[in-house]
Amino acid sequence: MLQEGLGSYYFHYLSALAHGDFGESDSLKRPVRELLRQRLPVTGNSVVRGLGVAWLVAALVASAGLASRGWLYEASNTAFSSLLLSLPSAVVAMLAVHLRIPVFCAISVVVFPRLHRYIRSLLVRSYDQPHVLAARARGLGSGAILRRHVLPVAAPPLLALVGVSFAIAFGAAIPIEALCDSPGLGQLAWQAALSRDLPLIVNVTFVVCLVMLAANSLADLAGRAFTGSTQ
Amino acid sequence: MSPLQKMAAIILCVTFVLMVLATILVPAPYDRQFRDVPNAGPSTAHPLGTDGLGRDSLSRLLYGTRVSLLLAPAAALLSTLVAALLGSAAGFLGGWFERVVLAVTDLSLALPWLFLLLTVRAMLPLDVPPMVSVIIAFLMMGLLGWQASVRVICAAARGVKDSDFLLLARSSGCKPARLLLRHVVPNLRPLFYAQFWISIPLFILTEANLSILGLGVMEPMPSWGNLLRGFEDFPAVAANPLRLVPLILLVIVVMCFQLVLPSQEVTQ
Repeated sequence: MLQEGLGSYYFHYLSALAHGDFGESDSLKRPVRELLRQRLPVTGNSVVRGLGVAWLVAALVASAGLASRGWLYEASNTAFSSLLLSLPSAVVAMLAVHLRIPVFCAISVVVFPRLHRYIRSLLVRSYDQPHVLAARARGLGSGAILRRHVLPVAAPPLLALVGVSFAIAFGAAIPIEALCDSPGLGQLAWQAALSRDLPLIVNVTFVVCLVMLAANSLADLAGRAFTGSTQ
Repeated sequence: MSPLQKMAAIILCVTFVLMVLATILVPAPYDRQFRDVPNAGPSTAHPLGTDGLGRDSLSRLLYGTRVSLLLAPAAALLSTLVAALLGSAAGFLGGWFERVVLAVTDLSLALPWLFLLLTVRAMLPLDVPPMVSVIIAFLMMGLLGWQASVRVICAAARGVKDSDFLLLARSSGCKPARLLLRHVVPNLRPLFYAQFWISIPLFILTEANLSILGLGVMEPMPSWGNLLRGFEDFPAVAANPLRLVPLILLVIVVMCFQLVLPSQEVTQ
């Protein structure tokens, strides 16, 4: 199909897409729509579970560090998260294969250090605000400070981070699914790139783009609703 | 500079010296096969042992370091140049040009980067000589990796645009091109350095991911990503733990790059 040139290929692709036709995969000889319908739930499942675990652990570790603020805890935390940050996600995938860790855990290992670093700096910055100091001087408990004075300030950027974390998780899904042999979108994109299956990879990218758009818009809406309700 | 940063800088310098001296230090060419000793453990002839095809691991590590540590900074330089050009022009000119640049940036940032790289790689031939695969990886990362930097640079350029010295320069009759090159760009230079440094560890990791997936640097040319593929053969790693050396080196170098980064205020 590429022989006609990229421009005309793209035009034909768009006009077919407007009619709901995703075309047929060159290498797998099956309709792309069917492939996507099979593969998207697998990736969606592991991405959502992986993100859930990563967010939970990152939030817990970041807030635990705020409560104690010991230098040993902080140093070991920074060292651990920068070690994880320095591992290519494909290496995490290989480790997951050897240790028989499920795919969603591998995804959360890749997403966790990035979330942790951002959440931590965000919380530290919100805690350093003068109104938090004032609340502490009035004798408020740490739970009340977190709920009423820190979270309202930190919530909109945190909600935006939810959208971004989806992009990180989907990016990590490619090497992890490819090496752990999990039949999801990431693996499909990898196979399509290896067999130079343009109709397939263009559609996979298109679907991922739609998912990202939905995730980011939802995060954006939630952020706006939140700032609207607190004002 | 803190002591930790100094140590990181020293480690990076040593790695670079080893990389430059690779041709003198290596026991054998990186693609020469010692067929009677495949999967060998460490010995005087092969300090790190040999791989499954009987190639000397130390030679491959040194040459692979050379490929990876040239590829990533070169791609970072290219992407920073593109980002500097687009970002400062967009921030300085404003108007529709800024809107177009920022819209394209947002659009490509919305997609996970690896998906973008895979899509572009799928359009290019796969059965190419190793050297061409290195150049393809370099161009792909360099030409597709500028989005995050453009936003930062554009925001900073917008700040410079309203400054007094620019008003003075404009009132004394400076043309837009001269304003951009002599007044805006020099003020953004620390930001360019910061973006360049941030991109390097990112590109090292991306090259590793692509090569492990078979879409980066092609065999027999070694690179860190290619060497990490040997990691998949777990029994061989258990038999010769020195096979972990490429992974350890990669993690140490990436961590050092993250440590010597300019302070956070510049980068955000």
